[in-house]
Amino acid sequence: MSIAPAPIVVDRPEQDESVLPDTPWIVLVWNDPINLMSYVTFVFQKLFGYSIEKATELMLDVHEKGRAVVSNGTREKAELDVFRLHEHGLWATMQRDDA
Amino acid sequence: MMARKVRPPIERVGTTFRFNLDHEERDMIHRLMGEMRALLQDPDDDDGRLRRIFPTAYHQAGDQELDDEYQRLMREEIMASRLKGLDAVDEFMLAATGDRATATEAQMMAFLQALNGVRLVLGTMLDITEDHDLGDVDDDHPLAGEYNLYDFLSWMLDWSIRAVQS
Repeated sequence: MSIAPAPIVVDRPEQDESVLPDTPWIVLVWNDPINLMSYVTFVFQKLFGYSIEKATELMLDVHEKGRAVVSNGTREKAELDVFRLHEHGLWATMQRDDA
Repeated sequence: MMARKVRPPIERVGTTFRFNLDHEERDMIHRLMGEMRALLQDPDDDDGRLRRIFPTAYHQAGDQELDDEYQRLMREEIMASRLKGLDAVDEFMLAATGDRATATEAQMMAFLQALNGVRLVLGTMLDITEDHDLGDVDDDHPLAGEYNLYDFLSWMLDWSIRAVQS
């Protein structure tokens, strides 16, 4: 048995763009056949403080185009927004803003 | 669906909300909330009925690990939030007398979320589509009762939103 110390292998942390603070993320709400249009509008107003006009416009985008971007920001902020939307039963997801 | 009175089922009265529902209607809502509670407290990972209660957060293929982490951390939070909301609904529904129940603003918000949660589960079970129309469901359809219930809950949710926004 060798008494020489074994070489220490250092794991080089991989660059994870998802945790870079500057990487913007967007939150999407998807159309679904169950949630009422009035409820979706109400949730947008309640969670994001949008005016009735802005909330209605976003709701119609969701309904007619299949999805709409409702908020953006850091990954942490986007995840919190997604969580709050999920709490309210909306079909929300998030992705990096590649646009 | 039950015949409605001229008075709205739910209306804002100052800073509170009055539920003009009779005993049977309140009992039905209470029973549905109880079933929701039981479903949340004894979840089966493969239970499709809860698919819309615990949705995917990271939908892109390369983000599966992030979604796994989100589900691990947030599923319990969503469940706790929903159970807390059901408690708040119980609180004012059980305190009702006669044909009246009164909710505070916070209880009303909890009611909206809870009612919508029940609709999500029932709508998922019934595989509701954009084309859903109760008029297309025959009276002798084996799930006619459930379809009627779904529409009753939709009607009540819509009135609840009107009350909050009034």
